[in-house]
Amino acid sequence: MTQQQSRTAALVLDKASVAYGHIPVLEELDGTVASGEAVALIGPNGAGKSTLIKAILGLVPVVRGRIEVLGTTPAQARRDVAYVPQADTLDPDFPVSVEQVVMMGRYRKIGWLRRPSAADRTAVAQALEQVGLSERARHRFGTLSGGQRQRVLLARAIAAQPRLLLLDEPFNGVDAVSQHALLDAIAVLKRQGAAVVVSTHDLSIAHLACDEVCLLNHHQFGFGPTEAVLTPERLRATYGGHALELRGDRVIVTQT
Amino acid sequence: MSLIEPFHLPFMARALVELVILGMLAGTVGVLVLLRRLAFVSDALTHTVFPGVVIGYMLGDEDGVFWGALVAGALTAVLLTVLAHRRRVSEDAALAMVLTTLFAVGVVLVSRRTAFTSDLTQFLFGRVLTVTQEQLVQTAVVTVLVAGLLAVLRRPLMMRTFDPEGAAAAGIRVGLLDLVMNVAVALVVVAAVQAVGTILVIALLIVPAAAARALSDRLVVIVPVACVIGALGGWLGLAVSYEASVYHGLRLASGGTVVLVLVVLYGLAALAGAVRKRVALGRVRLTAPELETPELEMTR
Repeated sequence: MTQQQSRTAALVLDKASVAYGHIPVLEELDGTVASGEAVALIGPNGAGKSTLIKAILGLVPVVRGRIEVLGTTPAQARRDVAYVPQADTLDPDFPVSVEQVVMMGRYRKIGWLRRPSAADRTAVAQALEQVGLSERARHRFGTLSGGQRQRVLLARAIAAQPRLLLLDEPFNGVDAVSQHALLDAIAVLKRQGAAVVVSTHDLSIAHLACDEVCLLNHHQFGFGPTEAVLTPERLRATYGGHALELRGDRVIVTQT
Repeated sequence: MSLIEPFHLPFMARALVELVILGMLAGTVGVLVLLRRLAFVSDALTHTVFPGVVIGYMLGDEDGVFWGALVAGALTAVLLTVLAHRRRVSEDAALAMVLTTLFAVGVVLVSRRTAFTSDLTQFLFGRVLTVTQEQLVQTAVVTVLVAGLLAVLRRPLMMRTFDPEGAAAAGIRVGLLDLVMNVAVALVVVAAVQAVGTILVIALLIVPAAAARALSDRLVVIVPVACVIGALGGWLGLAVSYEASVYHGLRLASGGTVVLVLVVLYGLAALAGAVRKRVALGRVRLTAPELETPELEMTR
């Protein structure tokens, strides 16, 4: 990586507002994520976390302000951006092996017709190694546990060798072993210089894996270093009237 | 029962070639229909292609059928793609109304003709034994076209079918791909109209693919197996209906017989699939019990 690249911000939100048709979802977001850093998107369900991820992918329009990804527009940056969906949104009956799923991360480099090269196969093997599922390569995707499936999807993203990684609620319903494997793999990607955006409910994850936090609930309730932003006051403001219910949540309790 | 003798007759030979090609085409496309859960699209096409067939027949006789079906099929493919991407549930009822209306238009148009019943039967259930050389060529061209399309688009199609959001995020134009896919299904329905009619083609699309899916978990196996089952169904179905009609005085409609044979093949495949799963499970238990132990799920 050149010096100039390492200095450029991977993601810039500049008074960005995002809308589905006429319905505004997110307003006036401001913040920067540097290469090699991770930011956690935190907010209640329906706060617009997934929408922000889609806007960074260029799949939902920015209606005001600007989102800059890797120094260009979201749509143009897509080649260097990898997206990890929630594993449980995928059909477990689909006849596809773990290895084939990870190979999908290479499709952009392989193209439509060429056979996968030795480099592609190596990248797939290494990505599976990184999430600790090498021995499951030939198993059908649907036969794995939810957490393992999530790791396979992360391996798919790793195989694409992205400069920006977007993860949508990757820790939802994931077992402890898989959570560790996911966190380790994310840490490796960060060390290699990739920027990471991860939406989560889990504040302990934000502490463990992320340098920065973006508190979201249609508006931005804070964006900055994890320790500075994750304060009880700000969380209460973000979660609004739901703050009391959240006291019952295992995760929030550790914060108050 | 002879599996070869009936096909010395030229009309039977043509019927065989038509059904074998169709079976292979529908088998292949059927795998995508099955995985994408596009049965509804196929169903909708059978309703809208029917009036196209009737109008084509009225304008251009036998030759008009293919083109009438083609126009109707293409329009339906576009309409369904647009509707699916709007995702308005309330439009389901409207769509169902449009489909039955179009179907009724077809029925009303046919009813104005003197040979009402025989025409209606032909359009709905096909008449494979009168397939001409020209129709064979049409089917073959459609097959080559669709097979080529699927071969070129196999990676984006697989990605889109498995993970639509991930596909869009990877820069695949999902809307365009869906349109191509719906057109491919429409082409199969159009190609099958002469041979098995607009109704039975659903079975041709769904049954071989479902049977192949029961037999394997691997796409590289499923697609060719669906092809073979589709072709086999056509061959055996024709042979059975010929045998019954000629030697046992039992007139069996060939299109319907083909579908029933396919269903029997599906039954066998489902049975074999169940046995295969049992065996595989037993083997896993014997060799690697630890693989079956689920990791601890964290409770929230």
